[in-house]
Amino acid sequence: MNQWAFVIAAYGVTAAATLVLSVLSWRAMRGAERAAERLSDRA
Amino acid sequence: MHRFANPARFLKIARPLTGWLFWPGLALILAGAACGLLLTPADYLQGDTVRILYIHVPAAWLGMGGWAGIAVAALMQLVWRHPLAGVAGRAIAAPGALFTAICLATGSIWGRPTWGTWWEWDGRMTSMLVLLFLYLGYIALANASARDGQAGVSSVTAIFALVGAVNIPIINRSVVWWNSLHQGPSITLRGSSIEGSLLWPLAPTLLGFSLWFGAIVLMRMRAILAQNKVEARMQRLARG
Amino acid sequence: MKAKHQRLVLALVALAAIIGAGLLAASALKDEAAYFYAPADVKTKGVEPGRAIRLGGMVVKGSLRRAADGVTIRFNVTDGKATVPATFSGIAPDLFKEGSGVVAEGAFDRQGIFVATNLLAKHDERYMPRELEGMQYNEATHEMKVEK
Repeated sequence: MNQWAFVIAAYGVTAAATLVLSVLSWRAMRGAERAAERLSDRA
Repeated sequence: MHRFANPARFLKIARPLTGWLFWPGLALILAGAACGLLLTPADYLQGDTVRILYIHVPAAWLGMGGWAGIAVAALMQLVWRHPLAGVAGRAIAAPGALFTAICLATGSIWGRPTWGTWWEWDGRMTSMLVLLFLYLGYIALANASARDGQAGVSSVTAIFALVGAVNIPIINRSVVWWNSLHQGPSITLRGSSIEGSLLWPLAPTLLGFSLWFGAIVLMRMRAILAQNKVEARMQRLARG
Repeated sequence: MKAKHQRLVLALVALAAIIGAGLLAASALKDEAAYFYAPADVKTKGVEPGRAIRLGGMVVKGSLRRAADGVTIRFNVTDGKATVPATFSGIAPDLFKEGSGVVAEGAFDRQGIFVATNLLAKHDERYMPRELEGMQYNEATHEMKVEK
């Protein structure tokens, strides 16, 4: 098999994980902080 | 460190720092990866598969550094009772586990064309797999602590983190102590046996992944703290 | 002593004990956890014929011979202290070549020849571009020199 196939597979796995973790962490943080803000607005 | 014991004071610094770590980190990762894929020459033996190095080494560093961070947090929790230590440990665990897995995956993808095998039970690979299992154990214990209503982790979880830390020097020394399929350390105090023209993109990817990892940990800590605030309020409301 | 100090001392002593125990156990495993035998280990410890082991070392330059059947190869494996003859039938990995590392799975026959059933190429810690091939690497100083 072509060596580039292995290189692309390795970079693909890493890029996908980096992207997914970034998006999930960001969304979890924003969701939780908005919920906390709504709470203090009400109080 | 106890200046940051107050979550409000911690958040005042963490909020702006998150973006300052995230974007430069991501930019450095992309720049380093592009240079490693396009600019550097192929290795005399491995050919183009040498390029996997630029992500495999940072992944190994994040996996091992992550556990070192968890162990330091555990020590701060057990000794100084730092209120944010457990939160930090919980925040590091999942990304650390993910990058330990990526280290194993990229190593396996490199091993197939280089060694002629996807996986062998040699000292380095086995001890790295043990680290992944340690992470999974820590995550399970930390989740149990969270179900008990703690923002941080239980003492048992922190002790588990400290005991697991013994694996970090073992991973590091595995290729020296034991005959292993994995090559010995290329970069030592005496210098590097990776030629300079092949080595340099590793610097931006290592730094970039480290900054980005810091940003992810801050995001996850902020999420835990905010969730905790909401839950505490809900409980007070429920009690009337 | 304050409670905080007591906890610190306790934690550090426990940590030192755990790490000490772990490292002791790991270094006691030294031979058991070895992934392969080097030719010198074979000579000093003796490996009986037929026992499945892994043999690791360098393929001696100029020792690689292809048999008439076209699939069997013979070569010598060395670690600088001892040299062992080996044979293998099948497809060797791309990076298997003279002067580079190899890990062979198999067993010794009665004549003391290592009959490999599987070959793995062992990569060493040197990385360099193709233009530098033919340069010599100094283990002690980590420097590359032009081979003369």
